[in-house]
Amino acid sequence: MSNSKKLGFLVTGLLMIAGFLAWIYQYKEGLVLTNMRNSYSWGLYVSGLAFFVGNAAGGLVLSSLIYLFGVKSLKPFAKIGALTAFANVTAAMFSILPDIGQPIRLYNMILHPNFDSPLIWDVIVLNLYAALSLLYLYILMLPDFKGPLTKIALKVDQPKEFSETWAKRLAPFSLVAAVGIHVITAWIFATQGGRDWWNSAVLAPDFIAVAVASGTALVFIVSLLTYGFKKEHQEAYRSMAIIIATAYFIHIFFMYNDFIIHYWYGAKEALETLSITFIDYGLTHAFEVVAPLAAVILLLNKKIRQSSGAMISSCILLILGVFAHRFLLMPAAFDKIQLSMNPLGLQHIYWSVPIASGRYDPFIDTFVTKWHYFPSGIEITIFLGVLAFMCFVVLFAMDRFPIAGEVKA
Amino acid sequence: MKRGMVIDLEKCIGCRSCVVACKQHNAQPAGNWWNRVFTPGSNRHLSPPEKGKEYFLPVHCQHCLNAPCEKVCPVGATYRHDDGTILVDFERCIGCRYCMAACPYGVRQFNWEDPKKTMKQYEYQNGYTYGYPRDFRLNGRLVYMPSRFKGVVEKCNFCVHYLDKGLDPACVRGCPGKARHVGDLDDPDSNVSKMIREKNGFNLLPEKGTEPTVFYLPPKRKEV
Repeated sequence: MSNSKKLGFLVTGLLMIAGFLAWIYQYKEGLVLTNMRNSYSWGLYVSGLAFFVGNAAGGLVLSSLIYLFGVKSLKPFAKIGALTAFANVTAAMFSILPDIGQPIRLYNMILHPNFDSPLIWDVIVLNLYAALSLLYLYILMLPDFKGPLTKIALKVDQPKEFSETWAKRLAPFSLVAAVGIHVITAWIFATQGGRDWWNSAVLAPDFIAVAVASGTALVFIVSLLTYGFKKEHQEAYRSMAIIIATAYFIHIFFMYNDFIIHYWYGAKEALETLSITFIDYGLTHAFEVVAPLAAVILLLNKKIRQSSGAMISSCILLILGVFAHRFLLMPAAFDKIQLSMNPLGLQHIYWSVPIASGRYDPFIDTFVTKWHYFPSGIEITIFLGVLAFMCFVVLFAMDRFPIAGEVKA
Repeated sequence: MKRGMVIDLEKCIGCRSCVVACKQHNAQPAGNWWNRVFTPGSNRHLSPPEKGKEYFLPVHCQHCLNAPCEKVCPVGATYRHDDGTILVDFERCIGCRYCMAACPYGVRQFNWEDPKKTMKQYEYQNGYTYGYPRDFRLNGRLVYMPSRFKGVVEKCNFCVHYLDKGLDPACVRGCPGKARHVGDLDDPDSNVSKMIREKNGFNLLPEKGTEPTVFYLPPKRKEV
């Protein structure tokens, strides 16, 4: 094992342990250790769900592109795609776990599922997707199982042909499942007529666009780390850069399309939501737009695509931008009190009902209309633990399984 | 039978007796408030936003007919009783707080930590307890408990444990001005149906399509 690999295992291992201990502590004390409040009831953990679900997409979209649309240059990355898909969709589920106040009772989801709830749909589709991406990965690896791994190999006469046929057969299903996880995760939010910020028909398509950008960027990073810069992969780099760029521009179009429609009409509720994003969180919003834009411009540049370091940095920049985007899913939804009105006979006053924060603090008012949320140390530690878990799964699989194909000389 | 409530804002004097009665009878943990009374337009209760323009607005669970909280609950812990009341099963709630994100009225509260600990922070006397003292089950489901679990959501349960004994909710009984009324919305001749019809009953946030069963009667304007 190389030193960088050892370091990778060490860092992800330590972060995972720290995250796990933080979760145990939070389980014991309650969610009081987070910075969430009654008025701001979802935070980093749920943003994390959307973030990891997004990263999971690219994988299978990419793999199915190869087998459905014959984008041959991407073929060496098919297994990496399926692997990052699996790692991220499991990370998405782990990300939401610490958000649950009574995790022991999760079996109620099986005993008493309410099929009206988009959350139940999401749990079903995320699990299906995890299973499907694992199966897909297995089928793709089948011809390459050697040594002790032959024990887990399915006995077929011609593994190469078998793998190819079944990968082709599974491709349409995985594409549908990949689209499904984004649409349904978006529906968790978009169905909520009570939150103006989420309640938009554009949210689900936008989730797909963001996911294709960040998911592909992640495959891009992992493949560069695995193979290093390879001349014969240049066509693939170009394809991935174009996929990321297209997806990013579609995302920007969807997002600003929604903003402009609401801004033009100028209803008070909409303006308040927009002002939270553009003024209270203006810098974060600027980052979520500019960082991926810079990344896309760089990746589209031929010269940049000659350096593995430059490509990796650009992809990381894009993913960070997407993370900021996911973080911003919450403030404009929760910092605006829905029960706001013009009091009877006082049409010039717009007034919001303060909500009991649910937290004891001797120095601030129990009732709040705004809560400047920033995740607590515990929340950040747990989130980093989940992120480390995702990286660990990728590293571990790369180390033990035939993920990296042979590069033709 | 569809249980509904009418709150006559003309009669509400802003005394907050209903708030205290609710808090006490339902043994709400320190910091949790199922029922609140506001002075709309003002940040301070009882201080008029404009001279002579004050009125008071009690807000609690609206027991909506199209309740987003009921629909989003992944495990059916928030559910609808036969009479339309929206209840929370404390034993089933997994604490995902999706219902809190879904509710446009902001009336749902989460137990962020063990309520016994918060009692200490707020300096309640050691061992002091208040409220209806026993667990209450409706068809086997735990819809009221005097000492809450950590990590579950709670809100107004229309005093389902008192209804069982033929009593009105604590807020109705505690109101000195008789501003609150409970009755059957399905029956056109019930007191609540008549009041809504004859005194321009209205809902909060009707544009959200939640169809609340809590109605308000507008206050009369004073002569200028």
